[in-house]
Amino acid sequence: MLTLQSYLTLGAIIFSIGVIGIVINRKNIIIIMMCTELLLIAVNFNFIAFSYFNQDLAGQIFVFFILTVAAAEAAIGLAILVALYRNKKTIDVQELKSLRN
Amino acid sequence: MIKELIFYSFSSVLICSSLAVVLFRNPVYSAVSLILSFITSGFLWLLLEAEFLAIVLILVYVGAVMVLFLFVIMMLNINEEKEKSSFNSIAPFAVFIGLIIVIELITIIWINSSQFSNSSAVIQQSSQMGNTLLLGTELFTNYILDFEIAGFILLLAIIVAISLTLRPRKNLKTQVTSDQVNVDPKKRMKLIDMKDTK
Repeated sequence: MLTLQSYLTLGAIIFSIGVIGIVINRKNIIIIMMCTELLLIAVNFNFIAFSYFNQDLAGQIFVFFILTVAAAEAAIGLAILVALYRNKKTIDVQELKSLRN
Repeated sequence: MIKELIFYSFSSVLICSSLAVVLFRNPVYSAVSLILSFITSGFLWLLLEAEFLAIVLILVYVGAVMVLFLFVIMMLNINEEKEKSSFNSIAPFAVFIGLIIVIELITIIWINSSQFSNSSAVIQQSSQMGNTLLLGTELFTNYILDFEIAGFILLLAIIVAISLTLRPRKNLKTQVTSDQVNVDPKKRMKLIDMKDTK
């Protein structure tokens, strides 16, 4: 039988995969942004599971707004990435250390 | 029974494709497996009777955001030689942190399981009103201010993305209004006394 716990466990697994991806990846900012999208998907999973099992529509409304803000965030992040690549000619995390010292 | 089968098969596909997002070295492969995980989670949301959000996830994310990601990946032309130096010494540490996070979360979820309402108590939503109608009614009555703010955030995203990436063209002949306003009339015309040459 599918309970709330199985959905929450799936969300936890996806979330930890996203965290591992952010920590493990030290070369490419685009993949870090994709891992952020994975984290958002995991959180949305929890919202929708709670919304279904409590029969409350507020969770789905919240997921709607999260999707909106995440789309805006992805657009702005990619714009920043393009501007960064124009100035620095790289998007390698290891080489972007001009703010150090 | 069929729901359990669908849930377990789709969630295993979702976990494998999320792992592929992390583990692939080529960012194009990562983006494509992220598309697969979005579609799979859309199907899992259909199982949770969130039909509108499932379709929105597939349309907005796969149709717009991931295409944007792929565009940027292809536009930036990241050279392949530097991709080899990945998975450095921090990798076991990262896996350790991730395992700790997932063990903590699962422990808390399953210890407090008595507090959650169980799926057997779920009442079906009123079948004559669809999920989209319910969501729209709620969104345009109780959450109208939040809806307007979301629209404003999207407008802000458009303006910010354009202004970050816009480069003004060189040698473009336009009027600069500030320069025109700030002109000093004394510097414009010079009166010179000239002797009569005749």
